[in-house]
Amino acid sequence: MATVQLKNIKKIYPHSESKQKKGLFGKKKDEEPEKKHNLQITAEGTVAVQQFSLDIADKEFIVLVGPSGCGKSTTLRMIAGLDTITEGELYIDGRLVNDVPPKGRDIAMVFQNYALYPHMSVYDNMAFALKLRKMPKAEIDRKVREAAEILDITEYLDRKPKALSGGQRQRVAIGRAIVREPQVFLMDEPLSNLDAKLRNQMRSEILKLRQRIDTTFIYVTHDQTEAMTLGDRIVIMRDGFIQQIGTPHEVYNHPHNLFVAGFIGTPQMNFFQTRLECENGEFYVPLYGTRFELNEKQKQMIKERGIEPQEITLGIRPEHVSLCKEGGVEAEVDVSEMMGSSVHLHCSVQGEEVVVIVSGLELGEEHASGFSHGEKVRLHFDSNVLHLFGADEVNLL
Amino acid sequence: MRLGQRPAYQTFLLYLALVLVTLFFLLPLLWILRTSLITKAQAYQIPPNFHVQLTLENYIEVLTTNKFARYYLNSAIVSLSATVLSVVFGAMSSYWLSRQPGNMTGAKLAILATQMIPPIVLVIPINTLIRSVGLNDSWMALVLAYLTFNLPYVIWMLLGFYDNVPRELDEASAIDGCSTMQTFFKVVFPLIAPGMMATAVYSFLVSWNEFVFALVLSGNATRTIPVAIAALETQHGVKIAELCASTMLAILPIVILSSFIKKYLVNGLTFGSIK
Ligand SMILES: Nc1ncnc2c1ncn2[C@@H]1O[C@H](COP(=O)(O)OP(=O)(O)OP(=O)(O)O)[C@@H](O)[C@H]1O
Ligand SMILES: [Mg+2]
Repeated sequence: MATVQLKNIKKIYPHSESKQKKGLFGKKKDEEPEKKHNLQITAEGTVAVQQFSLDIADKEFIVLVGPSGCGKSTTLRMIAGLDTITEGELYIDGRLVNDVPPKGRDIAMVFQNYALYPHMSVYDNMAFALKLRKMPKAEIDRKVREAAEILDITEYLDRKPKALSGGQRQRVAIGRAIVREPQVFLMDEPLSNLDAKLRNQMRSEILKLRQRIDTTFIYVTHDQTEAMTLGDRIVIMRDGFIQQIGTPHEVYNHPHNLFVAGFIGTPQMNFFQTRLECENGEFYVPLYGTRFELNEKQKQMIKERGIEPQEITLGIRPEHVSLCKEGGVEAEVDVSEMMGSSVHLHCSVQGEEVVVIVSGLELGEEHASGFSHGEKVRLHFDSNVLHLFGADEVNLL
Repeated sequence: MRLGQRPAYQTFLLYLALVLVTLFFLLPLLWILRTSLITKAQAYQIPPNFHVQLTLENYIEVLTTNKFARYYLNSAIVSLSATVLSVVFGAMSSYWLSRQPGNMTGAKLAILATQMIPPIVLVIPINTLIRSVGLNDSWMALVLAYLTFNLPYVIWMLLGFYDNVPRELDEASAIDGCSTMQTFFKVVFPLIAPGMMATAVYSFLVSWNEFVFALVLSGNATRTIPVAIAALETQHGVKIAELCASTMLAILPIVILSSFIKKYLVNGLTFGSIK
């Protein structure tokens, strides 16, 4: 139960020794990872995170999400005190904690690979932190059993971690964190080692848990479904920079830029290179010979912001494209993915791929099991939910 | 294919080969054992007489008149001290090394490099050094000398064990509220204890068997077993029966320790902490 404030946090990993000295003993291994990402590299080292500012309210559930290597773990580890903060200020519950070691921050963390103490029983794993605090035995016992009850691991309390399945280990790792009743709960991809079914189950358990223990959560994931379902607010990161902070609704419906639009939502948003045109003061977007009129709200915003006609990227989510009998744009079905309640159609329109979600209700008798390759369909694009991105990839509206 | 499924003659040949190889290595040892258990006169007989009376007189003589008990004590004190010190210091420096952010190639190579110097090269300088600080003919002289070549080896060996303990465990315990010391003793140490045990046994063996430094640095009072055994090769010939008896005595602790090291090495480091 505490607020967490990050003010303009920056993390630079110094160049490794071998890099500095172009070393005699330098291994090739070290030089590769830095090529993979577009992280900024300065004289001091690799900038893993920069300009990270975020105010986390008490009891808020924040999710950091982004592709691999974007600096999510680094940010979390700085909050935990496992990595030093190169620049900026970190406050937990109003207290500046930049130089406070992890044990003084009153946080708990769940690691991706669980990091259970292999030589201790499940009970001792969970009791470890409490014993260090010299809590009375009876109270430790009560808390451990209570947590075990919540997580449904009471019957494994005497086992060693190696005798548990992945899902059970994950519960123990969470249990170890909740007995502490920490001010802030940190989780680094806690579900990524579990299989799909278990992951869904644990996800809903984390939601339930959250209602029971009611504290501040910071949760790292690269899975946007987890981000959307768990987060009060989502922080989307890329190459060390924050791309957008917002509620799941906001980031989904008003992506701040092209990256966020493409990252959030499956299947991915459809993008089209086109122009924003103006004719007699009326703005419209041409696409495949049709003309998207903008709605009143959009027109007004364009006027307010003084936006000129320009090259744009047009974004439309797959669920906002529908099939129609006549009119619309002609397309050819490439792949039809039956998802159960709906069908994902990958169509090609004049050589470009467009993804359409067709709900089961719209399918009708003849297409009940999907579409066949090469079938001709007509697509209708809903112009009310267009996203327009300018040349700098930022959402115009 | 399992052993039990082989044809009988194959199994027989296999065992025969194993017995021969084992005998090849064991025969000298068995001969020493025999020689140590017969009278001096019989020990010198050539060709050897196989109808002999077994006796413990060589052992008794070695332990009483030859002050062998004293040398035993010297060896034990020196080897144990060198082992304890090198494992304690080695454990600390090795832990630090393995937990550094970079891969510390330079430091690791420097440690390995000390192992590339043949120890005999160091005998004269170390001897001069020991004399100049007035430590000659003391246990301390040998302990310090053994530390110089045990410590790097211990560090190097322990590094492998530490690297097997995931850093996340250190981090988890730091978050749980451990100081660095507590992390080491409550989390890391229990996990590498088998490795540490194996390293300690190794370090003990090296110190126990060491000859060159002991020859130069030890005096009458601090003589260790290998030197004492060598001293049985006198101007008047080799005292073969006593020599064999003292050799058997010197081997005894090593045999016991070897059975230990096996147990600990087999225990291994397979734990279910990660994944
Ligand atoms: N100790 C380190 N030294 C140098 N660079 C590092 C170090 N740790 C991480 N980095 C770099 O910092 C960047 C961010 O790493 P981070 O672990 O935060 O990524 P992430 O967003 O958690 O990715 P993933 O989803 O793969 O876990 C990466 O490009 C990585 O190469
Ligand atoms: Mg990560």
